[in-house]
Amino acid sequence: MWGRQTVLCTILVFAALVTQQSFLTRLGLPGATPDLLLVTVLTLAFAYGPLTGAVVGFGAGMALDFAPSTAGPIGVAGLIFMVIGFIAGAAIDPRDRNPPVLIGIIGLSCGAFVIAFAAIASILGEVRVDWEQVPTLLLTATLYGGLLGLAVVPVVSILVGKITPEAVL
Amino acid sequence: MFSSRTRFVLTALFITTLTFVIMDLRGGQGPFTSFRSAMSGAVGGGEQVGSLIFSPFLGVADWWGTWGDQRERIAGLTAENDELRLLVERSEADRARAEQLDGLLRVAGVGRYEIVAAEVIAVGPAQEFAWTVTIDAGNADGIQRDMSVINGQGLVGRVQSVTKNTATVVLLVDASISVGARVAGSSEIGILSGTGRQDSLEFQMIDPGSGLDPGESLVTFGSKRGRPYSPGIPIGEVVSVSGTAGQLTRIATIRPFADVSTLGVVGVVIRPPREDPRDSVLPDAPRAPTASTLPSIILPSPTPLASVFASPTPSASATATPSGSPAPSQEVERAATPEPATGRSN
Repeated sequence: MWGRQTVLCTILVFAALVTQQSFLTRLGLPGATPDLLLVTVLTLAFAYGPLTGAVVGFGAGMALDFAPSTAGPIGVAGLIFMVIGFIAGAAIDPRDRNPPVLIGIIGLSCGAFVIAFAAIASILGEVRVDWEQVPTLLLTATLYGGLLGLAVVPVVSILVGKITPEAVL
Repeated sequence: MFSSRTRFVLTALFITTLTFVIMDLRGGQGPFTSFRSAMSGAVGGGEQVGSLIFSPFLGVADWWGTWGDQRERIAGLTAENDELRLLVERSEADRARAEQLDGLLRVAGVGRYEIVAAEVIAVGPAQEFAWTVTIDAGNADGIQRDMSVINGQGLVGRVQSVTKNTATVVLLVDASISVGARVAGSSEIGILSGTGRQDSLEFQMIDPGSGLDPGESLVTFGSKRGRPYSPGIPIGEVVSVSGTAGQLTRIATIRPFADVSTLGVVGVVIRPPREDPRDSVLPDAPRAPTASTLPSIILPSPTPLASVFASPTPSASATATPSGSPAPSQEVERAATPEPATGRSN
């Protein structure tokens, strides 16, 4: 099970990263970029629990940090994704999934990322952080996150169920 | 509460991220440089493929922008089959790309910049505040750190880091950018900084006693050896000026010529011109007579210039190369000294 789970997580995360950086960021939507990568991490955390959530979050965040299209401080997205993945995995019991709750957690997590990134980057002395933009980014990130969740959760759930039927889902 | 294994993994991951953060903060060429380059290369490769797949669908944003007008068109298009629709989108994207390339060649030709054309393949997320994009040209195409990036409108940004086949460009509007700029038509210089907002830059004049009016244009002053900024690239026009003449600091708001939200084809200046083009590259400025026939491929200038190789790949890369001898190094004093008469009026 571990092998197939690892492969599935890797492929989904990489596909989400590429789709986000090459497509979603370039749509020019107002405010934040729809955070497909974080939504994917959260969905995998819901399915596989806190430990996998943290590891997948770490990997996805680091990949985002290292992507040539980003220039933020290395490791910050990795740290935040890891914590969010862990908390999401711990908060949801895979046997007792309530769709509105899942979508709510996804939306709030996408908003939390905005604040956490701005805060940590500020502490690290990043000159680019503009707190005046944070409320707009927060609102739009939460909204886009929730909408993306509506599409991503069912798709990933089906994939998880098909490829790793042993997982409690 | 959690098993010891969970706690162990969490601690290990936490320490790893902190290590990365600290190594990155120290800056310079840390031990992670090669690792970082390899990681960027891998993700960059994915972004190149992704860009190819998604490029026909990027027009979706325009539909959303003008929903009412486009509804009829969408209705019309649904009558045709999917394959035909994809074909139409493709050709439109290609035409837009060709127009951008024409504009780029005009700027490069007038300013005598030797450029490598590249296409934007990915953009950093807005949540991280940085205005950065990935382009599909890298080390292998002669791109190095700290080269200017331009498009048909003007300055776009500068190259921050390079992998073999991709490069990361920090855009002009990024809050970490500052550019030496000169007011067109005069020798007044100042420092231009990004604000992190898409439509505004801040320009602080070195000599607060001089006048500056809305509508005036700014061009780059140029850096030593043309890196990171080549001289004479149009930047933007003054929108408003705060403070009056004689005040200690006068700050002007500048609207950049290049629209960074819709970047497509850009050019990386791999060698600056031999002499400062002064204001000749500006959109409305009188052009040098040698450049009036652009966009022609070969310019009728004293030194043979700009031979263009356009490759048939969908990534639309082209190289404009002066066939003369290598340009001598550019000196910063250039902007203060009047240019020898070359038939250009400033």
